[in-house]
Amino acid sequence: MSLAVPRQSEVRLREPQAVIAELSEIAEYIAHLREEIGALRANEMSRDRIPMAHEELGSVVAATAGATNTIMEAAEAMLSLPDGPGYREAVEERINTIFEACAFQDITGQRIAKVVESLRLFEQRLARFVGAVKARDAATTDPAERARRARAEDLMLNGPQADGEVPSQDDIDALFG
Amino acid sequence: MALDLSMPILVVDDYQTMVRIIRNLLKQLGFEEVDDASDGTEALARLKDRKYGLVISDWNMEPMTGYELLRHVRADENLRTTPFIMVTAESKTENVIAAKKAGVNNYIVKPFNAATLKSKIEAVCGS
Repeated sequence: MSLAVPRQSEVRLREPQAVIAELSEIAEYIAHLREEIGALRANEMSRDRIPMAHEELGSVVAATAGATNTIMEAAEAMLSLPDGPGYREAVEERINTIFEACAFQDITGQRIAKVVESLRLFEQRLARFVGAVKARDAATTDPAERARRARAEDLMLNGPQADGEVPSQDDIDALFG
Repeated sequence: MALDLSMPILVVDDYQTMVRIIRNLLKQLGFEEVDDASDGTEALARLKDRKYGLVISDWNMEPMTGYELLRHVRADENLRTTPFIMVTAESKTENVIAAKKAGVNNYIVKPFNAATLKSKIEAVCGS
């Protein structure tokens, strides 16, 4: 078997062509990357959608807390009502307050739906971008994030589990024998 | 089962709504002496000021979690026998086992009802 060794003149001729081809590919890739970055609409996300999500979720927390307080105040007031005439009317009045407070669920549901829609859009755009640029995750993470994860792991801050995975109170009682 | 309704109880939770729910349930059960703290650090300070008959604590709080509070309580010569019930959404089996190893007396998963709270208090404090 013999290997064809290019003559010096051929190398000199092919090299610029190869470099030009490579540079063209890089230029095309950069143009493609710019298109994909543009399609992410990152400014719209950081200027409008993410602040909106913060605001909506903040409102949900406030509305939920407000409604819970109203309901609890009405329930506590009912518990301390004296027996006797007027008891039923007083209970009915507070029950109506509870019904009114429960209207928060409709409004918070709509607010959460807006946030979910933004997250869905964000996920869609990010997935398209990751696919288009064949992005790979960096091996290292932010030190603050690492510290947060380490603390959560040490102190077992797992949070509530997803529905269906939650052990019942009976399962837990069994662990205590 | 006889319960000492005059014993002071410390409720530890960073959510005031949950504190209020537990307070109301305890009131329904007849307990009047209920204090509260919003995290483990505050709870530990209260425990050093007053002798409590029971601690009912959440797990996930800042800066000191309920799990850390439990370990502090069990490591303290003066507090180590204080009955301790964890009331938490941290429902993974590994959490329950870790709390048991650390010396928790009982464990309630949120959301819970009055009957569960009552039965656990009776199991831990009933004579």
